[in-house]
Amino acid sequence: MRIFTALIAITAGILVLFGYFIPAFSGLQILLLNWAIILAGAAAIVGVFNLILVHSDKVRRSEKGSVYSALLVISLVATLIFGIILRPGHTIMKMVVSGIIVPSEAALMGLLTISLLYAAIRLLRRRVDLMSIIFLMTAAFVILGTASLPFGAIPLVSDFSRWVTEVLALGGARGILIGVSLGILTTGLRVLFGTDRPYGGN
Amino acid sequence: MVLTPQMLDLIVGAISFLFTVLIFSYVLGDNPLFRIAVYIFVGVSSGYIAVVAFWQVIWPQLFYPLLFGAISPLEKGLLLVPLFGLALILMKISPRLAGLARIVMAFIVGVGAAVAIAGSLSGTLIPQIMGAINAFDIVAAGARNIGFLEAITNGSIVLAGTVFTLIYFHFGARAKADGTMHRFGLIELFAWVGRIFIGITLGVVFAGVYSAALTALIERFSSLVNFITSFLGNFQ
Repeated sequence: MRIFTALIAITAGILVLFGYFIPAFSGLQILLLNWAIILAGAAAIVGVFNLILVHSDKVRRSEKGSVYSALLVISLVATLIFGIILRPGHTIMKMVVSGIIVPSEAALMGLLTISLLYAAIRLLRRRVDLMSIIFLMTAAFVILGTASLPFGAIPLVSDFSRWVTEVLALGGARGILIGVSLGILTTGLRVLFGTDRPYGGN
Repeated sequence: MVLTPQMLDLIVGAISFLFTVLIFSYVLGDNPLFRIAVYIFVGVSSGYIAVVAFWQVIWPQLFYPLLFGAISPLEKGLLLVPLFGLALILMKISPRLAGLARIVMAFIVGVGAAVAIAGSLSGTLIPQIMGAINAFDIVAAGARNIGFLEAITNGSIVLAGTVFTLIYFHFGARAKADGTMHRFGLIELFAWVGRIFIGITLGVVFAGVYSAALTALIERFSSLVNFITSFLGNFQ
């Protein structure tokens, strides 16, 4: 089984990769990608069912916080049943999105304002070193430089924050992005060489 | 009873108002009201994800073509492969049969790895390297009214920032006589400069996230006020 799963991962990966560089493989690449999209969708649904099972188990065992788990299961199953019957474009499903999902996401994002401010203050109180000062000074300059103030932009701060964003931060961001990209490349190649088997083939 | 668009708006507004207030109650500390809102939000979102995955991926790409699609027998035969994969992946729900889903997971991981390699190469690595090179394009800078000296200086700073940041992530070190591990002196110096660039970059990212969060907070407050005023307006 271990060899078989590794063989499937390596073969599928190499065939899809060939499709990017050799035109003759592009048809096969599209076919494999379509299969992968369908299976990834199925995996998402399995993940949701797993969430139902985990929280149902909590409710059955009457664990601490099982009332919240019951609420989660009820809301999940109700959305799932209505969604499957009515489809995502139905008025009720749109109401669910614009009445619960979007406002909750926005409110949680809004809460981040307080959490981030608190984290910044804690950083200053717990670790006052050059890096913390550079980090917070940059953040403060950029926020001040980009904020829409009633008396207009602050002349020097605005120009300096733009230069910091477009030159200094760009250099750092480019380095981080190239580093991340090299990391993805290495991890992908390790999977294709069979060195890493995150699908449980070790 | 038929709901008018105004009544629907009022219901959506009321639910939205309720969830916003429940979530904002977190300002007073972690409390049951906040938890109720968050658990319902997670439940509804997960259910919606499953619905979208079914109706926008699995139904149009698998079941509809298999059952009603005007496609050749060969194409229908090829669709039996993901159908079999779907059956295998559903085995993951049962702990005893979960091992069978490994075949499908291996396929998804293999394809994902190939897509990630191609994506990181063509979407990040090459464009970022080209961006570093193009920063020294004097003709393009001139077209944007940027002087020669300014273009070269800014391009050099960006390039230095990129290189020093990458050097910061180089953790190769040699053991000294006393057994401690140290990086080569010049590498250590460049890595220190790289740390400053990373600090500045993360500061800018922090500012961006903070601005977005602040915008969301203002939008939520505005929606709360709008709902209250429109709700009170109905009684006048």
